[in-house]
Amino acid sequence: MLATIGGVFAGLMALPAAQVLKKRFRKTPAPSGYDPSQHKWLMCLDVDKCIGCGLCADACKTENHVPEASHFFRTWIERYIIKKPAAGSGTARGEVLVDSPNGGRGGFPPTLVPRAEILKSFFVPKLCNLCEASPCTQVCPVGATFDTPDGAVLVDPTYCIGCGFCIQACPYGCRFLSPVTKTAEKCTLCYHRITRGLLPACVEICPTHARVFGDLKNPLENDPLQAFVEKNKVHTLKPHLGTNPRVLYANLDKEVR
Amino acid sequence: MRFFHLPPQIFRLVLLIFAIVVSYLVARTLLTPDSFRKYGFYRGAALAEHIANHQPVFAGKIACGQRHPDVLEILTKDSHKSLSCEACHGVVSQEHLKNPDSKMIKPTAKVCLRCHEASPSRPVTFKQIVVNDHYSDDCIECHFPHEPNKYHE
Repeated sequence: MLATIGGVFAGLMALPAAQVLKKRFRKTPAPSGYDPSQHKWLMCLDVDKCIGCGLCADACKTENHVPEASHFFRTWIERYIIKKPAAGSGTARGEVLVDSPNGGRGGFPPTLVPRAEILKSFFVPKLCNLCEASPCTQVCPVGATFDTPDGAVLVDPTYCIGCGFCIQACPYGCRFLSPVTKTAEKCTLCYHRITRGLLPACVEICPTHARVFGDLKNPLENDPLQAFVEKNKVHTLKPHLGTNPRVLYANLDKEVR
Repeated sequence: MRFFHLPPQIFRLVLLIFAIVVSYLVARTLLTPDSFRKYGFYRGAALAEHIANHQPVFAGKIACGQRHPDVLEILTKDSHKSLSCEACHGVVSQEHLKNPDSKMIKPTAKVCLRCHEASPSRPVTFKQIVVNDHYSDDCIECHFPHEPNKYHE
């Protein structure tokens, strides 16, 4: 008797529970014809080619519907100005000034530093460094952020609780908490575009080919990424942190961090 | 005769631990999404969901070239060959796709100067002008934007 009542009760409980679980973890088919294990995407940047037009930062906001406010960016440009050292100081390089007004969107206003005082100046485009040992995925308490087999680092918005640990963990400042979704957001390498055979929006729009994008597992004929790696002497950002960033920078100066 | 006799409190403890372990295993089976561990320690279906939930906005140079091969051919011959159509003309709108007669943005001198205004931060090999020292501030008066090395007579 007791067992029958228990059985009926359990059955009644299981019915809505099953529905809730079905709704929460709905099955979605994998994109037809796209196998993440068959690709390895990478973006590389040539600092000497960047002209600081800000089209990439602009295009990224449009493509990914990033909130308009001037502190939400998935990619942005920094302007580095290295001043001449003071006379008799015995140093090779002077003070380093870095600015990124509105992430470089809409270009940079003329600098207030007189031209005679500038030793060197250049633009550095920044984005997610696609670390191999990514600190952001290590700190996530709910497993909402992960490294995909094809080289992107994504956030699962249905699992993200918006705690912000990953935002603090990223040494490159590539993440932000979206005021719209209340979840962490970051550069996805335009995952929805590359899986459809398009280039990321910033690579598509870059007028000087300062951004180079390619698939390491399926190189094209005259692959721009292969040519970039062969031609240039490359470096990564903050290599001392042991994050093993995959994004390579050509012609990077030591002041860039 | 039994080999050993479990005291009742130990027996209850074993039963409790067994119940806890079983309920944990049942809960884990029910709560773990199907696609978990498909690619790693995360929900594999999140990849497909991400792709399905986002639609590309920028059409891309290849898509533009399918309808405007003549313009793209002129463009690829001169030094603006690395430029994407949408860099100057703006995003290909849904309106333009539906009705090709609806015009895209006609770029103004501001668009040219976004890249070509003189700045000490730009690479020296890149062509730059100081607007005040230049002949005119209306670029297309002399230059063809698709063939920048050609000039109006």
